[in-house]
Amino acid sequence: MMRKVIAAIDDTAAARSVLATGRLVAELFEASLEAVHVRDDGARTARTAAAVAGLQLREVDGPVVDALVLEARASEVAALTLGARATPAGRRPAGHVALEVITAVPRPVAVVPPDVRPQRDLRRLVVPLNGTWATANALAGVIELACRCDLDVVILHVLDEESLPPFSDQPHHEAEAWLREFMARQCPAAAARAELRVGVPAHAVEATAVEMGADLIALSWSQELAPGRAAVVREVLERGRIPVLLVPIRQGNSERAP
Amino acid sequence: MVFDWDGTAVPDRGADATGVRDVVEGLSGLGMDVAVVSGTHVENIDGQLRARPSGPGRLHLCLNRGSEVFVVDSVGPRCVYRRVASPAEDAALTAAAELVVDRLRARGLDARIVSARLNRRKIDLIPEPEWSDPPKARIEELLLAVEERLHRCGFDGLPEVAAAAEVAAAEVGLSDARVTSDAKHVEIGLTDKSDSARWILDDLWRRGIGPGLVLIIGDEMGSLGGLPGSDSLMLVPEARRSTAVSVGVEPAGVLPGVIWLGGGPATFLSLLEDQLRRRAQGSVPQLDEDPAWILTVEGLDPQLERVHEALLTIADGRIGTSGSPLGAHPSATPAVLAAGLYDGEGPEEQLLPGPVWNQLPIDLDSGIVVRRMLDLRTGVLRHEMDTAAGPMHAVSLSSLSRPGCVVLRVQGPPRPLVPGPSLVPPPGRDVEVGETDGTDWMRVGGSHGGVVAVAIDTERRDRVECLTLDRLGAYEPDSDGKSSLDAALRSLGEAGRRGFDHLLVDHRAAWGGRWEQAEVVIEGDPELQKAIRFALFHLMASVADSEEASVGARGLTGPGYRGHVFWDSDVFVLPFVAATHPRSARAMLEYRIRRLPAAREAAVAAGCAGARFPWESAGTGVDVTPRLARDHTGRARAIRTGQQEEHVVADVVWAAACYLDWSGDQAFASGPGRELLVETARYWASRIRRDEKGRGHIYGVIGPDEYHETVDDDAFTNVMARWNLRRAARVVTDDPGESMRGEAGRWLELADSLVDGFDPNTGLYEQFAGFFELEPLVIRDLARRRPVAADLLLGAERVRGAQVIKQADVLMLHHMVPDEVAPGSLVPNLDFYEPRTAHGSSLSPGVHAALFARVGRLEEAVDALRLAARIDLDDLTGTTASGLHLAAMGSVWQALAYGFAGIRPHGGVLQVDPRLPEAWSALEIPVLFRGRRIRVRVEPARATIEADGPAEIELPGVPVPTTVESAGVRLRRSREGWEVET
Repeated sequence: MMRKVIAAIDDTAAARSVLATGRLVAELFEASLEAVHVRDDGARTARTAAAVAGLQLREVDGPVVDALVLEARASEVAALTLGARATPAGRRPAGHVALEVITAVPRPVAVVPPDVRPQRDLRRLVVPLNGTWATANALAGVIELACRCDLDVVILHVLDEESLPPFSDQPHHEAEAWLREFMARQCPAAAARAELRVGVPAHAVEATAVEMGADLIALSWSQELAPGRAAVVREVLERGRIPVLLVPIRQGNSERAP
Repeated sequence: MVFDWDGTAVPDRGADATGVRDVVEGLSGLGMDVAVVSGTHVENIDGQLRARPSGPGRLHLCLNRGSEVFVVDSVGPRCVYRRVASPAEDAALTAAAELVVDRLRARGLDARIVSARLNRRKIDLIPEPEWSDPPKARIEELLLAVEERLHRCGFDGLPEVAAAAEVAAAEVGLSDARVTSDAKHVEIGLTDKSDSARWILDDLWRRGIGPGLVLIIGDEMGSLGGLPGSDSLMLVPEARRSTAVSVGVEPAGVLPGVIWLGGGPATFLSLLEDQLRRRAQGSVPQLDEDPAWILTVEGLDPQLERVHEALLTIADGRIGTSGSPLGAHPSATPAVLAAGLYDGEGPEEQLLPGPVWNQLPIDLDSGIVVRRMLDLRTGVLRHEMDTAAGPMHAVSLSSLSRPGCVVLRVQGPPRPLVPGPSLVPPPGRDVEVGETDGTDWMRVGGSHGGVVAVAIDTERRDRVECLTLDRLGAYEPDSDGKSSLDAALRSLGEAGRRGFDHLLVDHRAAWGGRWEQAEVVIEGDPELQKAIRFALFHLMASVADSEEASVGARGLTGPGYRGHVFWDSDVFVLPFVAATHPRSARAMLEYRIRRLPAAREAAVAAGCAGARFPWESAGTGVDVTPRLARDHTGRARAIRTGQQEEHVVADVVWAAACYLDWSGDQAFASGPGRELLVETARYWASRIRRDEKGRGHIYGVIGPDEYHETVDDDAFTNVMARWNLRRAARVVTDDPGESMRGEAGRWLELADSLVDGFDPNTGLYEQFAGFFELEPLVIRDLARRRPVAADLLLGAERVRGAQVIKQADVLMLHHMVPDEVAPGSLVPNLDFYEPRTAHGSSLSPGVHAALFARVGRLEEAVDALRLAARIDLDDLTGTTASGLHLAAMGSVWQALAYGFAGIRPHGGVLQVDPRLPEAWSALEIPVLFRGRRIRVRVEPARATIEADGPAEIELPGVPVPTTVESAGVRLRRSREGWEVET
């Protein structure tokens, strides 16, 4: 069965960015791209954007969230792409549709900020790993696909006060050894490069991805947005400068690996 | 194998022992040690056994009820131990026996002293012709006859007679008399079979054979007439993990834990023959699975496999082999490193990986369950693999007795155990391969020479379902082409002629010898004890003891730090080997001595005189510290240690002095040691700048606290330079006719002029000029835990401006050169600096453990020691996968020796000033001081110091040195400390 990536577009100007990102995600997943619009109060902009992208727009009915979740659950769907919100500003990390969809869909979901400039190519993927088995396992497939596409895959780990190694004898040797072992544990087979940062992960991930010129950030998460959870996901969505591919952690513990 | 003779090995003294002789000689030839334990004398046993084994297994005759031991070789028996009774003891034995006989006769029992054997008297309880020489088979009848006779005279039985003998012995002053009985006699002696058992178990232990590998066989392993059977005396506490078997009649049963087989000498012989058959089939040797000495890794954990491989590394000082499994697995990283062989240039220079010898074409990712056990006692790594076709076992070792030689024996079902290439190229390396006379060889080239390995496999298929593969390998540094290959082939040929069994015996014995001189015993903390053994094992395995020993920061346990040599080796590793195996310390110094020309060139390049050793050193001795690198923050960072961490110059000389102080090696002192001192003193003399007031300064350095760079008058650097100048001046001026006295005078003047930041009012040394003006911080206000890499947590700029330090700096002076700092300054400086120390270096906890111990803060000392000892076992750095932290391991020994035991050479005497934490019931530590083996044992209320010859010991509170000899010196804890017992 041919796999597909769904680009869920609304009837706003953000549809272009969502479609552009959807195309990149589809390439990553070696899938076709389908544009879907849930009829709400109009579809003109959506139709135009799909046409410009060379896609036929499939329009479906129903409450937006329910309809998108239903679409994304189909077995042939590899991932979903949707806009973070209709407008750039907002108190929450994303609009209510995006937040409800990303917490309900058991598939990778690429969330596209409204003011992100559409990219022609996917060149650099930043994959933050927090050192847990669960995170590394969830993202292993995406990393493998990205390496297969010859992307510049950057594995990013942010050391915070808790995870900082207690000792650092000669930092130049130590960092090299630490990172080598981190990669051996987290991405044993991937042709990816690694970057380390020190700081608060929620801030450092987004800032580093911007600093490195990432086209996409891939994050795994447990799909919970309760207070105290998913700080990195919240921060990345809130700042909204780079599309983020959210990959659900299906099961397993979150014990820190290295 | 330890066994009784009479009744166990032979039915009686007249029996033909040919069968036993043949098997004993066969077992010896296959590497098994055999000991006969008997009450009788050598003429009887040797006359009957007549074995003349030629080894490698040894035959001991432990005779005369524990009073004599003979070793028997192809020539015959030779006495190696005899308990010599004093005239008073001899007279007391006779008096006790006479007293017993008198008392028995007084109650109507006709008993006689029938013989005065070595260290014992034998009283016949039934001197009747019928029972003149009863065979063991009639033991039950004999016992009945004796007891009947005793009952007739009103005795309850043998125990009452034995008790009477003990009373008599005590009455004549024999407080530790051994009273035994074989039913016919009661004997009063100074020794018994328990002494034989202890002697042989101790001897085996020193040869690397633990009690778990010992089989003890007797025929009296229960009680006899209410008294312990004579062979049960062999079951001493030290033998608790041994296997004990009885082949006797044992009318009253055997002691718990003893396996009763019965059957007498026939069963015994079949046991021996079974052992011989197993050995002849080349079975894989067992380990003594004492959990206190065995590091076990169950399974293959993809996350931790590389850590486990580092922990399980086997090495001989020249070659290190990761403890990888024997077959292929995605997470396994089999690797071999050769000490001192580097590839690459400048900062990229790194240890050259060698051909891998321990791999078999087995897919371990196919459901095979793997278990690995490293015996820290013997450096033997055992592999157990459960395969669908049946179990597979193997042992591998890196021969400590033949450094450069490696040995593997594996046994298992022909599938999956199939032969394959004996050498495998290291990943990513081009190799040259070939075969010479059936021997595979492989060469890996590097930019500074290479390494050549040769290996040969021998297969045996004893049964259809079992294949045994022996692999021998040899490594040689390859600096001049074919000659190295020839040397490797010669080495392999010699090992091959020696054979697996000999190689194993030699290797175990070599490790046994090293442990005898190095094992630190802590009683009361088994977890810490094992961690200490782990540290000492890897220290010993990582340092060669001939030619030159290049000891990188991770030794031979991994590629971390690229194998570069830091002060870690001079200051942290060397003291341990100087005090336990001086040849290794000398070899480490040889590494520096051979690089003096490079150090001289570095001094010239820096505009100085003398010799300047590099902060990071590799093959040639030029500095290989990078100038720029990325750190944990991911950012490029200037690395200034290569330019500024100059204290390494004095550290190298401190190591030389340490070796000299422990060994007293005069040839070194007057030769290369003197050259090191002079050249480094010249360096400091040219490096010091005088101000207008004549004060000496050293500007722009980094001390051990690497958080602060480009500082002036770092206390550690200045005081170490001062010490260096003074020590060199002393050597030069002590030399009669020396023409350099003028230069030495200038060194002394400069040394006196050097500022050291000491304030007599506070007792504090200022770590460097301006340190006290930095932001005052203590670590507990910055971080929730210690240790912490504070530079990473706070950023380099923040720590640079604060009183936050990485590791002992000023305090390192109190640890390294206590005579060079102000008396009484340890406590105020420890109080001030320790709370400001992040311990962000793995070198820090061990040094602080030593210092806490010296000032009596023993709980903190133990906590710091435990942390240092577990850095790799718990992978606290996250980098153990790239090798073990040898310097931290060295600091563990220093904390124990210099800190807790208070052992330290001081001039020509050895200071001993112990401190024992409450949680420990004893601390025991051996050292080699000026050729004397000295053992210090500390208990809560007392301490003992023993030496194998006269040695001068400086004791606390004793104004003049005490001469310790083999009788030892006993100390008693007093209110003020320790006092000598008289």
